[in-house]
Amino acid sequence: MASRFWGQGDSESEEEEEEVESEQGSDSDDDGGRGDAGRSSGGNRYLKNQEDDSDESDTGHRVIRSLRDKRNEEMRSIVDQMRNAMKINDWVSLQESFEKLNKHLEKVVRVNESTEVPKMYIKALVLLEDFLAEALANKEAKKKMSSSNAKALNAMKQKLKKNNKQYEEQIQKCRDHPESFEDEAADDKDMDDDDDDDADESDAEIEDPDKIAMSESEEERDEDDDDKEGWEQKRSKKDKLMDKQFLKDPSEITWDIVDKKLKEIVASRGKKGTGRIERVEQLTFLTRVAKTPAQKLEILFHVISAQFDVNPSLLGHMPVNVWKKCVNNMLLVLDILQQYPNIVVDTSFEPDEKETQKGADYNGTIHVVGELVAFLERLDSEFLKTLQCTDPYTKDYVQRLREEPLFLVVAQNVQDYLERVGNLKAAAKVALRRVELVYYKPQEVYDAMRKLAEQPEDSLDDDDAEAGHEHQAIDDNRGPSPFIVIPEVVPRKPTFPESGRTLMDGLMSLIYKYGDERTKARAMLCDIYHHAISDEFAVARDLLLMSHLQDGVQLMDISSQILFNRVMAQLGLCAFRAGLINEAHGCLTDLYSTGRVKELLAQGVQQSRYHEKTPEQERLERRRQMPYHMHINLELLEATHLICAMLIEVPNMAASTYDKRRPMSRTFRRLLEVSERQTFVGPPENVRDHVMAATRALNKGDHQKAFSVINSLEIWKLLRNRDHVLEMLKLKIKEEALRTYLFSYSSCYESLSLNQLTTMFDLSEQHAHSIVSKMMMHEELHASWDQPTKCIVFHSVDQTRLQGLLLQMADKLSVLVESNERAYEARTGGTLEGVPPPRRRGEGQDSSNMGKWQENFVSSQGRQGGGNRFGYSGRGGGSGQSGGHQRDRGNQGSRGGYGGGSRFQDGRGRNQSGSSARGGDGGARMVNLNRVGRV
Amino acid sequence: MAEHDLTPRLALHLDRHLVLPLLEFLQERGLYPEEEVLAAKLRLLAGTNMVDYAMAIHKSLHHGTDDDEVPEDMVARRAEVVASYVALQEAPSPLVAFLRDPQLVQLLRSDKQYNARMLQERFQIGSDQIEALYDNAKFQFECGFYSDAVAYLNQYRVLSTNGERTARALWGMLASEILNRNWDAALEELNRLKEIIDSKNSSSPLNQLQDRIWLMHWSLFIFFHHENGRNGIIDLFFQDRYLNAIQTNAHHLLRYLAIAVVVNKRRRNMLKELIKVIQHEQYCYKDPITEFLECLYVKYDFDGAQQKLMVCEQVILNDPFLGKCNEGNSITVPFRDEFFENARLFIFETYCHTHRCIDISILAEKLNMRCDEAELWIMNKIKSSKLDANIDSVSGTLNMTVNHVNVHDQIIESLKNLNKRTYMLAQNIVEPAQAALQAAQGD
Repeated sequence: MASRFWGQGDSESEEEEEEVESEQGSDSDDDGGRGDAGRSSGGNRYLKNQEDDSDESDTGHRVIRSLRDKRNEEMRSIVDQMRNAMKINDWVSLQESFEKLNKHLEKVVRVNESTEVPKMYIKALVLLEDFLAEALANKEAKKKMSSSNAKALNAMKQKLKKNNKQYEEQIQKCRDHPESFEDEAADDKDMDDDDDDDADESDAEIEDPDKIAMSESEEERDEDDDDKEGWEQKRSKKDKLMDKQFLKDPSEITWDIVDKKLKEIVASRGKKGTGRIERVEQLTFLTRVAKTPAQKLEILFHVISAQFDVNPSLLGHMPVNVWKKCVNNMLLVLDILQQYPNIVVDTSFEPDEKETQKGADYNGTIHVVGELVAFLERLDSEFLKTLQCTDPYTKDYVQRLREEPLFLVVAQNVQDYLERVGNLKAAAKVALRRVELVYYKPQEVYDAMRKLAEQPEDSLDDDDAEAGHEHQAIDDNRGPSPFIVIPEVVPRKPTFPESGRTLMDGLMSLIYKYGDERTKARAMLCDIYHHAISDEFAVARDLLLMSHLQDGVQLMDISSQILFNRVMAQLGLCAFRAGLINEAHGCLTDLYSTGRVKELLAQGVQQSRYHEKTPEQERLERRRQMPYHMHINLELLEATHLICAMLIEVPNMAASTYDKRRPMSRTFRRLLEVSERQTFVGPPENVRDHVMAATRALNKGDHQKAFSVINSLEIWKLLRNRDHVLEMLKLKIKEEALRTYLFSYSSCYESLSLNQLTTMFDLSEQHAHSIVSKMMMHEELHASWDQPTKCIVFHSVDQTRLQGLLLQMADKLSVLVESNERAYEARTGGTLEGVPPPRRRGEGQDSSNMGKWQENFVSSQGRQGGGNRFGYSGRGGGSGQSGGHQRDRGNQGSRGGYGGGSRFQDGRGRNQSGSSARGGDGGARMVNLNRVGRV
Repeated sequence: MAEHDLTPRLALHLDRHLVLPLLEFLQERGLYPEEEVLAAKLRLLAGTNMVDYAMAIHKSLHHGTDDDEVPEDMVARRAEVVASYVALQEAPSPLVAFLRDPQLVQLLRSDKQYNARMLQERFQIGSDQIEALYDNAKFQFECGFYSDAVAYLNQYRVLSTNGERTARALWGMLASEILNRNWDAALEELNRLKEIIDSKNSSSPLNQLQDRIWLMHWSLFIFFHHENGRNGIIDLFFQDRYLNAIQTNAHHLLRYLAIAVVVNKRRRNMLKELIKVIQHEQYCYKDPITEFLECLYVKYDFDGAQQKLMVCEQVILNDPFLGKCNEGNSITVPFRDEFFENARLFIFETYCHTHRCIDISILAEKLNMRCDEAELWIMNKIKSSKLDANIDSVSGTLNMTVNHVNVHDQIIESLKNLNKRTYMLAQNIVEPAQAALQAAQGD
């Protein structure tokens, strides 16, 4: 590149060409290497590009000429466009064309390496000036113009005036001798130079900067071109002088020059015509010429934020290579901070102008404005975004995933630094970021990650090193070696403890101590999740209950709610694996009650039948999506939920033929009804079909068929301890089959021997005995054992249909009376004390046997809270905003059976109602007294 | 049997001095090698001022070996302790002198501020002297003079205005009273302390939790000795906050709670709740006693329950709180006997509930009794009309009378109530109206 500065003549052009090419080649190596084979498309493009280059240099002249013509053609076509626009009096498009023309001009000038402006351009200016004057003169036409057109006209007027000043002479000349400007094309060609194709390429890119974010490969090329462009531009502008200073006389560069330049570049942010990538390059250059470590640090901060600026839109993600460079810069920052402990990074302190002038040997603290945590968080979310945007089935995705350790190492170092300087609150935030990258990994995946990170001869790292080396080489080409050399103090490799648990525990204790509320809550959720995937249900459950998280989920932000839902799903799976069917059902049922699991877990967008989403909502939702590798397998989840529901619901249905007791799982009931309505039942295809087929078999007490249908599901292979789980499932199915059988057919038997039961259901005698005893104790089965003969003797206490209906009526009447009383209370404001308090149905049953309580806490909670649940069920179905939905759903999740800290409330409540019942008579008298008083 | 020993876990939440009785018990039971227990004691005493005792233990520990000489540092420490004790005895501070004079003590009132002012003005006794009282008490306590410590602390509590140290003084008093085996006073202190812990909302929840766990551990001493302790332990442990504390960080206390519930006939209603807790915490804690309850009431596995019951005996005998013998009579262990009696009853009841006809010999086996013994036991039950059954002596079976609630009765029962309620409601509505009407007519 340096050769360009003095390379004007033809003799050197070839050499230059070569150099450019080699540079490009190395760049492409570097990028291709990092992207590996994954970015095959990018690599190909590069190859093609290279071929083009070499072709050009081989065949040389002819091709270049044609390109040259092409460029002239382009200019001509712009002029033609302008002419057309003039004809229809379209100032808007005219303005556009004018700008385009100017841009074009710059390149032509540069290419020509002469100060002379193409005659075609001058002619166009003249034309325009005339037309403008005409238009301004015609007042009436001006009035008729649309507002945008008029605006454009005014803008044009000013621009042209300014612009034309530069070319006043030529314009005058043109006006004088219009004929000499007619055949300019031929002359121009001769003056052209070999450099041209390069510039042309960049022209194409510059013309529409919007393309930048389109694809990575293009991006890279783009960047390369852009930086050349940037330097050329600079050279052509007034700071050419300073660059020369930088380049040729390293010793002359002072802090002030660098500072001035920095301010200039920083000020250019967001202005028109400053390429984002270009800014990054300029700043990167500055870091090398920085005079003091503090200044270098300051500039690095600007580089990093400029790198974040590269991607303008919220939806797209930061280009991968920029991200990587950003990571390197972060490490560099940390290096500096470690090397010079007297440099302090903060935002609160207002540094004076010359703060960074203090050199490395300065003794006091130097304040530099910056926010490490914010950078890190941004880095993390950019990483997440790339994964969100990438198709998970491509190699790109895997490749990107392999870069996770890169981030982890930065995070670890930042955290270490923050802990060292005592900013523990920020350290907790960083720790949370690390936790969020680790929490969903089971030990196997964690090990894989650890291995990946520790492999020294890994291709990835190799490439990185190479890239670094290459980079250095380019740097040397471009400018002087950095003044401030910072050794790599900070470790470049992440260190992981043996097990994910240890890592989590370490981070957790930091977060719990110093984190803010949200950080703590999220960390807690991650912790629970991690416990759940490591099959520690009891621990996970206790953490969830103790933290009272589900009380406050609906108040949390949406992403935390999603996390909460994920935790509940994982907890359900964990309980299922441990054979705790009721708990599993309790966890999962709320996720499935809306039929929007995908949305709740942020694992895909579900189309709603009832209302369309606005694009805005859709975009928001897409941004919340979980990257693919964090997904919870939905099929497995569904199977788990449905099987749990089946195991609970089938005996429940058999038990309550007469009184339609409240179904334990409405979703399951609904699915069952749908499947029963089918005229023909085909072989099961999806998970749902399988479970329905199993349900049908189980209903008949056919446990073998039920199990074999369930067993034939594909998803079981996803389970770690598959055999164990299936064994458990088999046992559960047998148990429930036995229960269902007894419920359904007990009325047909006078007695039934235990032996027969054990052979029918393939259960051990003891087990069967225990199940039947349990049913007897709960008064689900009206029977008792005859111990000497080992058989069940049934008591014929079954109600007739009439009696059953009567009982139902009694229930309904009591509900009626209750509501009457409530109405009275609401009216008078006092309680109706004379009346014995309403006896809950559940209570009546409970007192008579050792019943419901000893089912696990989840279901008992659910049952006790039955009344409440109805109240809740107005779940704001029509709330339009997706945000509202999410919140609403979090709410439901929170109800997931787990009654929070109120584990023992139900028992207590019962006691109280009992004691107040006793005081009934005394209360009646009091009512009378009251009444007298009132009248 | 050592695997069910809770002493290490209990000791974490006890005062040094309170651990000593536990170690004594272990030494008696011979559960661990004598040397180990002695060494543990020695370590324990190293933090106290009971140097003589420590020396004695040291001697017995190293008896017969070369180094049965008392180590130098112990001797030095003894001299130090004795010196400060003597100094304390001979030159009592003005405040101690004041308190020793009963006439002067009359001057004190219940108003702390007044006392402080009065002492300051008339006797030049400042707050630093009052604080010194606390330190004295601590010294006495460390020396093992618990009654002196109580006396000092009591005075300190009356005089001091420092809230936190008063609370600490209360802990000290509680420990001293326990070690003095003065259960009534200890119970009083316990309640006082409990009030302070529960009312203190300024301290962090973590501290509160810790305090509660300590309190529960200390209370074990009282509850298993005090005559009304059996109700007390259930009342205390089943309070929401305390139960939560148990579930959070002191699962092993479930053993004592379980025993207390089983033994206490009048608190049978707590059994359900207990089972729920046990089941909930079975991943964190289980021992034969909780497993017994689980077998019986969750799994309905009578054989398993019986097996567990057999193991329970050793557990109870080896537990320092449960296994203590009656004074004078070393054979009976009251808790073991009561526990077995009640556990047997539990099994029997559950068994009868699910059976119509039981072979008495099987029943005897389940109850861990001999056959004739069992028959006698059952006969007594039937006679005292606790059991609705009769014995078929020929076939050796027990036949239960099955009585079911008639469906008609059930319906009538559920409807009867409605009538009354509706009537009440109607009356409540009508009467005011009539009264108003009469009032209107009267006018």
